[in-house]
Amino acid sequence: MNKFLGNKAAILLFTLPTIVLFTVIVMWPTMQVFYRSMYDWDGLNPGKFIFLDNYIRLFEDRLFYTSLKNGAIFAAMLAVLQIGIGTVLALTISNKKIRGRKFLRVSYFIPVVLSVTVVCQLWLAMYNGEYGLINKIFETLGIPYRQDWLSNGKTAIYAVAAVNAWQNMGYHFALLLAAVNSIPEQYLEAAKIDGAEKWKAHWKVTIPLMAETYKFCFILAITGGLNAFANMQIMTGGGPGTDTYTLTYMMYRSAFRVGEFGYGTTAAAFLVIECLIVTFAINKLIARDRIVY
Amino acid sequence: MWLKIRKSNPIFQLFLWLYAIISLYPLVWMLFYSLKDNNEIFVTNPFGFPTNLRFENYTSAISEFNVPQYFLNSVFVTVITVVGTIVLAVMFAYSAARLRWRGKTIAQMYIVVGMFVPVQVIMIPLAILVRDFNLTNTYSSLIIPYIAFNISFSSMVFYGFFRTIPNELEESACLDGANIYQTFYKIMLPLVKPSIATMVIFVFLAAWNEYPIALMLISDESLKTLPLGLQFFQGQFTTDWGAMGAAMTIASLPTVLVYILFSEQVEKAMTVGSAVKG
Repeated sequence: MNKFLGNKAAILLFTLPTIVLFTVIVMWPTMQVFYRSMYDWDGLNPGKFIFLDNYIRLFEDRLFYTSLKNGAIFAAMLAVLQIGIGTVLALTISNKKIRGRKFLRVSYFIPVVLSVTVVCQLWLAMYNGEYGLINKIFETLGIPYRQDWLSNGKTAIYAVAAVNAWQNMGYHFALLLAAVNSIPEQYLEAAKIDGAEKWKAHWKVTIPLMAETYKFCFILAITGGLNAFANMQIMTGGGPGTDTYTLTYMMYRSAFRVGEFGYGTTAAAFLVIECLIVTFAINKLIARDRIVY
Repeated sequence: MWLKIRKSNPIFQLFLWLYAIISLYPLVWMLFYSLKDNNEIFVTNPFGFPTNLRFENYTSAISEFNVPQYFLNSVFVTVITVVGTIVLAVMFAYSAARLRWRGKTIAQMYIVVGMFVPVQVIMIPLAILVRDFNLTNTYSSLIIPYIAFNISFSSMVFYGFFRTIPNELEESACLDGANIYQTFYKIMLPLVKPSIATMVIFVFLAAWNEYPIALMLISDESLKTLPLGLQFFQGQFTTDWGAMGAAMTIASLPTVLVYILFSEQVEKAMTVGSAVKG
């Protein structure tokens, strides 16, 4: 048996391609991000080691603070909208008596499977100041309010984040619904017998039992917001001005538009650190003891 | 006090349907305007069902713009990515879960780390790497990273499946004189078929919709995938919104159909990931 399951040739054949591919395409570039963040590098020549100068420059860059602020807004919007709406929908729909559950579930999830480009183009059309759907709805309702959502520096970042929240809410909904369904009925029954009303029972029983899922949802929403890129790239190009820059977008511009590859990787490295801190903090804050049921 | 609201409260049920409208209506609107002309979209009938169905929008999306080319590129890149990912991940997961060698747990953990690396972060070194291998503007420049990025999650799912299979199966296969390759192909693969089906759908969705890598590595018009090609539609199509809607509908159809047909598997695949990542 040992010889049979310890066949060296088979093990090499089965594992080597994956390990090599993964190392070259994922792990090596990940290490490069940190290494290159300390270089003045144009992507062509070997570059010059400048240690932390890129980081100092980053902290003095006004755009960095705009990006940080936008990342925070984006992350907060995703966390509040996706997890808030997802929770209400998941808890409500977990009631087996609701009609059309299958249809409702599918309709919440459909935007998740669409291409980010299609979604962004669609919302560009909906946000349009002249003939966009949203202004049209205001007009039809008789509300004399028009807004060119994406050209206004104050509204643009919220408008872009809302698109991402809209597209991916269904994913959080599916995760939360799976968590609700995995909770044994007795828990809620017990709470109800004790006199708790339904939503109070959810608040006291269901939601705490879903702590592990919430942890994941918050990590996903917040790191997703900090990493936001495609939405800006397609919808605003970072504009108006630099009002919708995020760290990833800043990184992309530095490298592929200005040719400052070293400085771009510094922004990327900072992003990794930021995401690690957030993940660590959420793990500390939510459910310190793993719930077993 | 929203917590005190009684059970099966109509307000919450109303919210279910209201959000379904918010979720679906933009897509229905897109489908509708793909069948309208500009006048109907902007002036006469912006919200409702098209008065006469202008299927010519679809013909013009197909004939005047590069939609068929983008579509074929997407199909090609996606199919190779799905096959490559599944083959490599199944082999790796089988070896890590069932075969006997030192460091197999570490190898499995090493691959799973990939689930935590966002593609945006390593964009710059990846672009340089692809350039140094002279792969920029080739199908391989998309397919190879797509496989590498999807392998982590897939192999984790297969690993979990392989661990649940009893050892006796391999023992009896060994006694019957089968070699390890026959055991893998004839006994193990059929057993993990359900998870293969799930992962095919999952990788298909990821590859079909991928955008940042394609943006970075493909500038050649003849190699663009749908998400990349559609990016510039706003500019190209400003005079013909109907055709733009048609092109976007064509691009969305495959994933929406797959989801509607396999909704349970898709959601299952998505939620499996959370159990580990969290």
